[in-house]
Formats: sequence, C-alpha cells, structure tokens
Amino acid sequence: MSQQTQAADILSAPHVLEYPYRRSVGPVLSRFFTALRERKIVGVETSAGRVLCPPAEADPETGAAVSDRFVEVGPGGVIESWTFVAKPRDKQPLARPFAYALIRLDGADTALLHVVDADPARLRTGARVRPRWRAETVGEIGDIECFELETSR
Amino acid sequence: MAERCAVIGIGQTHHTARRDDVSIAGLVREAAERALADAGLDWGDIDAVVLGKAPDMFEGVMMPELYLADALGAAGKPLLRVHTAGSVGGSTAVVAANLIQAGLHERVLTVAFEKQSESNAMWALTVKTPLQSAVVAGAGGYFAPLIRSYMQRSGAPEDTGIRVALKDRSNANKNPYAHLREPDLSFETVANSPMLWDPIRFHETCPSSDGACALVLSSERAATGGAHPPAWIHATAMRSEPTQFAGQEKVNPRAGQECAQEVYAKAGITDPRREIDCAEIYVPFSWFEPMWLENLGFAPVGSGWKMTYEGATAPDGDLPVNMSGGVLSSNPIGASGMLRFAEAAMQVRGQAGAHQVDGARTALGHAYGGGSQFFSMWIVRSERP
Repeated sequence: MSQQTQAADILSAPHVLEYPYRRSVGPVLSRFFTALRERKIVGVETSAGRVLCPPAEADPETGAAVSDRFVEVGPGGVIESWTFVAKPRDKQPLARPFAYALIRLDGADTALLHVVDADPARLRTGARVRPRWRAETVGEIGDIECFELETSR
Repeated sequence: MAERCAVIGIGQTHHTARRDDVSIAGLVREAAERALADAGLDWGDIDAVVLGKAPDMFEGVMMPELYLADALGAAGKPLLRVHTAGSVGGSTAVVAANLIQAGLHERVLTVAFEKQSESNAMWALTVKTPLQSAVVAGAGGYFAPLIRSYMQRSGAPEDTGIRVALKDRSNANKNPYAHLREPDLSFETVANSPMLWDPIRFHETCPSSDGACALVLSSERAATGGAHPPAWIHATAMRSEPTQFAGQEKVNPRAGQECAQEVYAKAGITDPRREIDCAEIYVPFSWFEPMWLENLGFAPVGSGWKMTYEGATAPDGDLPVNMSGGVLSSNPIGASGMLRFAEAAMQVRGQAGAHQVDGARTALGHAYGGGSQFFSMWIVRSERP
C-alpha cells in the first residue's frame, strides 16, 4: 500500500432508500383539505378566538384543544414575508421564477406558507395576493396552484 | 440528595391496529390529556415535556418532537426527545424523573408513542447497506436464536412459551386499553398457530399497535390534588451495551443484570422475589418471560421457566407478571416501555381495575430494546421514600 490509498481502491455504491408510508392527517386538517376541494380555505378558532390557518389541533399558545368552529378565510390575503427563487429546480412548484411566501389570509391570525407567482420587482411585504385554483381540485394543498398579486400589471 | 419524585397522572390510548381517525398529534394528545386529567392538572401547569419514540424511520417523520411541540403544549418550555430503541418508553420516563429529582422542575409531562399502522418497522430495521446483504429478519428473526439457546440451556419444557402467551392474553381480557383481547384463546390455538420465526409461534408474538402513553411526574411539593394517591419513584436505572462484542452473553445480558442490581440497591431491595409485589416486564415474545425472570434475579439461572410453569407469575401467584397483558397484547413500540412503567405505577396507586393485584405496594417496571442491549427500570411504591 502506498502512503496514500489510491482513490480507485475506495469503493462506493448507490444507496437508494425508499419506503412506502401512510399518514392520517386527523380530523382538523381533514376539514381543511376537504374544503380546498370546494375551492374554500378554512381556519379553526382557538378558545381565545384566534383563527389558525392552516388549522392545528392544539392552540400553540396554550396547548389546549382548538374549538370545533371552522371559519372560511380569504381567499385574499397579505404577504408577511417572502423569499424569491430565481432559478427553480425540477421538483419545485413552478418552472418559472417564483416566491415562497408566508401569507396571512383575510380573517386569519396566522400565516400559510405557499407559492407566489410574481415579478420580484413587484413583490413586497404587505402586498395583497389571491389564490389561483387549479382547474380540477382533489382536496390537497396543491389545489391552490399558487397565489398571485391582486393588483394586475 | 435528590428531590423526591412521584407519578401523579397516568394516561393511555385504547391500543389497536389502526387509528386512522387521528393524526400522530391527536394520538399523543389523547394519552397526554388523560394523564393531565388524572393528575387534576392542565397544560399550563406543566414545566417541561419529555417525548420518546422508536427510530424516526418507523413513521418516516424526521424529529417528530418538533412537529409535536405545539400538540404537547411545549411552546416556551423545555422539550426533550429520548431514543433508546424499544426500551425508549422506559428511559423516557427515567429522563423525565431525573429532571424532577435534579430539582429543575416541579411537574414534567412525559409522553411516548408509536403509530405502527403508519410505520414501516420491519423494513426500517433492515436497511440494506451498499455492497452488503440485508438480514430481512425483523425483531422475531433476531430474537428466535436467543430463545432457542435459552431452551437448550435450561431444558425448559417446550410448552413454556405457550403458557406465557395464554397467561398474558388472559390478563389482557381484564384491561380495557389492551389491543388483543381473545377470551376464547386456548392452549391448542396457541400451539397450532403458525410458526413465524421458529421457535416463535404467531400467538407467542406481540401485535403491531397504534398507541400512546403519558405520565405526569411531580416533585414532592407539587404531588397534591390528584384523584389517586401518588406512586413514589424509589429507584431508576438504565444500562446499555453494544449490539455485538466478543464474549457477549445475549441470553442473559450483563447490562440487564447490572441494571436490575442497581435499581434494587437504590430501592433497598435485597430479595426481589419476596419484596416486589408485582412486575410489568417487556416480553414481546413469550419466552422472554422466563429469560427476563432470570436476568432480573427473580429466579436462579436456568429455572425462570419454573415460575411460569408453577403459576408464580399468574395474577394469583406470588409474583404476578404483566398484569396488563403486557407487550404480548399491545405493542405501540415507542410507548411499550412507558406502558410497563405506567402499569407498575397504576398497581401501587390501586387504580388498575380488573387487573389490580390486591395490596400491591412495591412494583417493578422494566423495558428492554435493540438487540437485548438497552435496559431501563424503575421501582415504584405506595409509600414515599
């Protein structure tokens, strides 16, 4: 053996690890996803009256269970913060440059993470957006293809 | 001098094969809310949360403690995750108790879970490494040769495992939370069930369960107000050893022996079979009852099977074992160790209902994991230390 092991002697091989899983989203998020199929966005009220969207099973402030009051929010909302993706990769949601944004929908007290299809020059915190729905909805977050700025060009 | 620590709240889910009606968050909250209610407390009364579960790859949720933080009311509080394979439910309770004993907190919520219906426990334990083969044995395949060794060494009658399975499944019929309840199970049914991993038969094997368990632990100052008296933690111990090493004793692991010696010494126990009223021990395959009876010092090496055979471990024996039905009747893996610790505490609190051992005042909770390499134990009593 030479002082340094030759690179060709060091073996490596592909290691693909794929397992099928299943996941129940539970009763609260099931309401949220089912509403999306109807092109509606719902939040859930905490006992203190705050509206969480996306809904959660517990109030993050107190740990208490949320109420069974689901309220329709949006569809419009406000960008709370964002980051721009100038060169999207294959598995990202849009093929053209886009933004990931935290969007507080009208009537909600928390923000939803989604995609905004907009010119970066016109993106700003506080900008109003509205959802662009897919032609066919199936009851998942991708039923909203993305959000777009409310003020047209 | 460590602070005294007590179990003041106990909660668990009704363990079953598939809980599609709840998310993982919903599952752990069921157990946690029952433990809080048992303690007469609310989420805001808790100072810290300690979560345990088996490997992340089982459900495929990376760092589930982060996803579950809000659901466990942990915002603004310390949140710890514990992992020691199948023993994790026990070691999670030990870590939670240590936080109280160290004087850091007054009340700690500790939770453990597994949602096996959403898991891939078999294959997640059998990752094929490049250029090597995968064993593809599952836990039963790993433990079957150890059981064979025990049978050969001890000369135990071949039906010992069947008797353990019958006893534990019979106990489960008295436990409303148990997954498997089979009132008609007979010796012949167990004996004629398919051989899964020779010599382990189908009915000598734990089920795959969805379930969670939660405990509220408190300092002596805060141990007031619950519906049931506290279970006082007199001793905890943990030990681990590598999966394999030269000269390793796998049937009667040294880590388990030393863990038991430590927990007895701390609790002032010199004759465990006489001084302990009942024991809830981690028996996922029936033959592990006699094996662990020896490892835990309840019986001399080679004669643990006699306790099973003579009925000493039955509910009316001198050392009832696995009153709840044990892992053989419910196995939400991450929670299984904590369920053993919880059952021990329920017994000394007198809240075990139809599976209550009359007059139980001192109980052992035991869990093991990995390739018989991780051990955690506690001794709880109705009397304070």
